[in-house]
Amino acid sequence: MRFMLMVAAASAVCATVAIAEEEDHFADAVETRHGLMLQMATEMGKVGAMSKDEAPYDAAVASKAAANIAAIASVLSMDQFPAGSEYQKATDSFALPAIWTAQDDFLKKVADLNTAAATFQTAAGTDLDSLKAGMAGIGGACAACHKVYRQPEE
Amino acid sequence: MRIMRWLIVLGLVAAGGLYVMARPKPLSAAAVADLTGDPVHGEQVFWAAGCASCHMADKAEGAAQLVLSGGQRFPSDFGTFIAPNISQDPEHGIGNWTLLDLANAITRGVNPEGEHLYPALPYASYAKMQMQDVADLYAFLKTLPADPTPSQPHELGFPFNLRESLGLWKLMFLTDSWALPGNLTPTATRGRYIAEALAHCGECHTPRNLLGGLDTARWLGGAPNPSGDGKIPNITPGKLKWSAADIVQYLTTGFTPEFDSVGGHMAHVVENMARLPETDRQAVAEYLLAVPSVE
Repeated sequence: MRFMLMVAAASAVCATVAIAEEEDHFADAVETRHGLMLQMATEMGKVGAMSKDEAPYDAAVASKAAANIAAIASVLSMDQFPAGSEYQKATDSFALPAIWTAQDDFLKKVADLNTAAATFQTAAGTDLDSLKAGMAGIGGACAACHKVYRQPEE
Repeated sequence: MRIMRWLIVLGLVAAGGLYVMARPKPLSAAAVADLTGDPVHGEQVFWAAGCASCHMADKAEGAAQLVLSGGQRFPSDFGTFIAPNISQDPEHGIGNWTLLDLANAITRGVNPEGEHLYPALPYASYAKMQMQDVADLYAFLKTLPADPTPSQPHELGFPFNLRESLGLWKLMFLTDSWALPGNLTPTATRGRYIAEALAHCGECHTPRNLLGGLDTARWLGGAPNPSGDGKIPNITPGKLKWSAADIVQYLTTGFTPEFDSVGGHMAHVVENMARLPETDRQAVAEYLLAVPSVE
């Protein structure tokens, strides 16, 4: 009996460790993609302040921010989205399962983001009016993905 | 015994009166008789009212958003509503509808057969639409393609599957008055029309009572998501500390002031709002800043 209990306890511990390791396994991916998105928001903040007339237009700053946005977009791939790192399965994840069931479409939206970022890079460095007009294009590319592949937060 | 008999008679009279009061109340033909629709302005009405967001096929993008074949599912406390085909197909869509039919459906919640429609179609908001806008919308819908996908029946349990009961719902919750009443600036007045009548913001952002009526005392004060997942935010100045420029930017690009991006169903709304003239988004912003704060 005591032996059985020990076995049960040991397997429970193993199972717990396995779950924890599973979560840890996704933690890097979730943290990486969240970091990429936060840096994206920081860069958008620089051009966004100009588009809202809260900061003076500076072609060099706008160009650099837009270049960084394009660079971050180019990094996005399934590398940061390992199968199973989804909402309610991986800690802090808001990634919906459709990312993996409709992976081709997900990756198409990532490609669309890269296209939009390249267009925006040109617009941001041209002048303030072009920057303002370009905001909806880059924002639309962000939203296209978040519309179907991100669980809305509370 | 005689009293009992009188009570029964009184009850029957009351029930009969209620039945009459709860009958569908279509418009008179005169309401739209002299109107000629402008399809170009109708397209603006179409996007502002968000028709495609619910009536296009699930996850449709680009030109496919103009194919109003229906089929999207909308879970609620009362069951699951399935958006019908409102394409120009004469059999499965609304290709045979007259302007009066459309006006009755979207402003009175009454179909051409004279039955009540479910308020998942936000006629409680569209009831405040100007008839000229309905005529323009009708003209624009006429330019859209036909699609032969049959509409699916809603999946509702008893008693919500009884359309007759909707007459009582309408008696209780349909109103002609604005949620934000009174005289506003011309810009905010335009914003009120877009937000309350066309874009039907209150349908999701205002909490509902047990019978599904909007709690107008907490107008736009946030509500549970009817899909059962998460919460739809409070967008009154009591909670949403955004400037007019922030709101305009959000409705144009989907970026919050922190440069998070819009997602979920609201991403459809932003897509729609982004198609309107900038002045309309500014009008909505001015309106939102004038709404009473809900804490």
